[in-house]
Amino acid sequence: MSKRHLLAIFSNFHEAEAAVKELRNSSIKGFDANQDLIVKSPIEHPEVEEFLGNKPVYVQWFTLCGALTGGLLAFFLISGSQANFFDQVKGGKPVVPFPPNFVLTYEMFILGGVYISILGFLICAGLPARRSPLYSSKVSEDQIGILVKTDEESAGVLKGIFTKHEALEIQEEAGK
Amino acid sequence: MSVSNLLENWSDFRHKHPVEDVPHDPYKWAMSIDLDACTGCNACSVACYAENNLPVVGKERYAHGQAMHWMRIERYWPEDDREFPDQGAQFLPMMCQQCEAAPCETVCPVGATNHTPDGLNSQIYNRCIGSRYCSANCPFKVRYFNWYDYPTTENVWPAEMTQQLNPDITVRGKGVMEKCTFCIQRIRVGQRNVKNEGRVLRDGEVQTACQQVCPTNAITFGNLIDTESKVHQQWKAQRVELAVDEQTKDTEEGGSDLRGYRILEELRPYPSVMYMERVRESAI
Amino acid sequence: MKDIREDIAWAKINTDVLKSLESPRKLFWVIIISALTVFGIGVACELYQYNMGLGVANLDNPHVWGLYIATFIFWIGMSHSGTLLSAILHLMHADWRKPIYRFAEAMTTFSLMTAGLFVMVHLGRLWQFYYAVPYPNERWIWPNFQSPLLWDAMAIFTYLSSSILFLYVGMIPDLAICRDNIHTGWRKKLYTLLSLGWEGTDRQWRNFRVTYLTIACFLIPLAVSVHSIVASDFAMSQQPGWHVTSFPPYFVAGALYSGCAAIITLFIILRYVFKFEEYMTLAILKKVVRLTFAIAMVWTYLNLIEYATVWYSHDEVSKAVLIQKATGTYAPFWWMMNFCGSIVPLIMAFKRFQTNIPVMMVVSLLLNMGMWLERWMIVSPTFSHGYYPWTWDHDQWPSWVQWGVVFGSFGWFTFLFMVFCKIFPSVSMYEVKEMVYHRSLASKKLEVAGMQESGKGAH
Repeated sequence: MSKRHLLAIFSNFHEAEAAVKELRNSSIKGFDANQDLIVKSPIEHPEVEEFLGNKPVYVQWFTLCGALTGGLLAFFLISGSQANFFDQVKGGKPVVPFPPNFVLTYEMFILGGVYISILGFLICAGLPARRSPLYSSKVSEDQIGILVKTDEESAGVLKGIFTKHEALEIQEEAGK
Repeated sequence: MSVSNLLENWSDFRHKHPVEDVPHDPYKWAMSIDLDACTGCNACSVACYAENNLPVVGKERYAHGQAMHWMRIERYWPEDDREFPDQGAQFLPMMCQQCEAAPCETVCPVGATNHTPDGLNSQIYNRCIGSRYCSANCPFKVRYFNWYDYPTTENVWPAEMTQQLNPDITVRGKGVMEKCTFCIQRIRVGQRNVKNEGRVLRDGEVQTACQQVCPTNAITFGNLIDTESKVHQQWKAQRVELAVDEQTKDTEEGGSDLRGYRILEELRPYPSVMYMERVRESAI
Repeated sequence: MKDIREDIAWAKINTDVLKSLESPRKLFWVIIISALTVFGIGVACELYQYNMGLGVANLDNPHVWGLYIATFIFWIGMSHSGTLLSAILHLMHADWRKPIYRFAEAMTTFSLMTAGLFVMVHLGRLWQFYYAVPYPNERWIWPNFQSPLLWDAMAIFTYLSSSILFLYVGMIPDLAICRDNIHTGWRKKLYTLLSLGWEGTDRQWRNFRVTYLTIACFLIPLAVSVHSIVASDFAMSQQPGWHVTSFPPYFVAGALYSGCAAIITLFIILRYVFKFEEYMTLAILKKVVRLTFAIAMVWTYLNLIEYATVWYSHDEVSKAVLIQKATGTYAPFWWMMNFCGSIVPLIMAFKRFQTNIPVMMVVSLLLNMGMWLERWMIVSPTFSHGYYPWTWDHDQWPSWVQWGVVFGSFGWFTFLFMVFCKIFPSVSMYEVKEMVYHRSLASKKLEVAGMQESGKGAH
């Protein structure tokens, strides 16, 4: 069945919010508000997350794993290399001294945490991304965009909802 | 593998400690210097220049504090408003103290300076990157840095002098830290020779250059573990122990009349050089 | 006085900031060329030193470290306030940071890069610097992990790479704006590549928020640890005047202090060069100045504590170094440092000067000079008057090579910073919009509440 993309641009945040709420409450054939609805905004609106329903973020699990791996790697790399580097005694300290190794473990803990968080961010946010079918540079300026994907025949219903909420502009494109 | 080696010998690595767990065996090189015998003649310093290929930096750079004297004779004068203030200088031959817990070793970023199994503080010229942290942390300031590329500098070793360079050790390029090694080239040759004979070095078989030339025998060098050695006997007679930051003789009531002491001992570097105090005029 | 006009149009924010990326004014070229000239002097000095050996810097025994290490600490310190503004104030929801944090973070990155140069310049055998890098090799030779210098290298690497990532992640939405608005030449390709296809979708923003917060949480302890470790270079050693327990917090306070002073300087310069009067407002300057004043007082306290602990201790050697600082060769610089660090900031306590741009420019430069002197006064006097009397050397003076390299580093920093400001938006557009949006919402709420209040009164 052929799909159709619609991008509605709103200048008023509250109108966009009302439009999304209506879309979520309506049951339109071939349109699932949880999957086919994307809100694009120029700034981070905490409200968006509220009215889009609960969508979990998994970046922090990447952070945890990255940090722990970094820390463990550091400790064993450092202690292991101290034990193998000709087993050299320095300054009357044990060959594997704890205080310096903990300092470096701490640094690597942070390093791993930061790097893997960024990796997690790219994976979770789907970046780098190909441009979505419809985009307006107005969105990066001051307007809110709602991108929906729906069946060919339901497009009219959605357009109606957008127009009702005073969308400035509606772009459409036939999708695959 | 590195990690399995680490885990198998864990307790060993956690405790290997030159002054406590691992007594040096069969060698622990040490020195004692009798300041009463020292006349400040500088022969030791000259011998050191010859033996260790030290660059002669010249008057101007010496004045800049860029001299390379591994063995230096320091002069001190008492501040007692005497009529001729230059009179009555006291001398102190100073070289690397080969500390057991050396402050320079821990801070080197590349591990160019280490503690050897025979109790020396070694310096690996090839490994040194010249961060100079070791010198910054040395309380005695006995580490010398190659501020210039001396092997290619004219007049450091004039033409006829290059004949005199010691072939047993290298010359050092610019940007490298160096210091007294207790004439390690002599020690290593001696150790190899006696290894073939299946015995350990006897006292006097290895001499450092400074010890060899000292006209008054003020410098004694030897194996501290060997109970027969002169250095061992001197340390014992002066009741100076190696791995302490305060000698028991000094904590006893009334103090001690013994002359042996170590410089900046209270900083806990456990130096391997014992000095024997000069008997001062005033004390007689 | 409001931090920012709330009715400022979002489209205007875009055009204003994007304008700063367009064809440079004459003044910009003047700055770039003079920065490169200054940097050239530093490079020439370094080349000379590289060929001749470090002796030409007039270092000696015992003065094995000098201006290089002091300036290294200075640049590391400067980097800390970028993190203060972007991470700490972010967690504290202080939204006035938003128009000014981007350039502060760029300052963090570039001053760390400058500091890194000093580590290299300082080495006797620069060409072997990789010995200090823990790379696997067939002989199993590793660097010495016990050395505070190695902790330094690790901490700076972590801090530099994390700051770059933090700066970059925070800039992605702005890069998308650039991509949407700049359609010419290499810039378009660059922005398209770097914005990673950002479109401001809800999924992107959601993950962005969590990631930004997480990295901010990591950066705060990281920044504190970096300067604590730099302090450990000294505190972990045995030397008098260095072996001080309070050094890590003292260094961290000093770092934030010099960084904040540098932010004031750059704030004023950017405001003028790029005409950002609308965003870098006097009200924000006032807040930064007050923050700097508070940190200045913390630093003063820790500084005095350090003197007091030495003075009332029985450590005669450290005491001698302190007396030497106050009365010996370094006395003019030491007193100057105390004057610039503790007395000059008192000007910042007066409301009338807090928004006076010429006064604040002078004050911020003086503060930074004071903080540079502080680092020098930590490094050099200890060498001149250490444990071993025979090696006392009160007359050593850094040669023109050292001064030239130190001077050149300022050119390098300015060059990097100005190029950054021309290629990347130095004011965060999306965050200024957020600030404007939330503030206007808040004041609307206030108005509504006020109307209800008055309505009630009328009843």
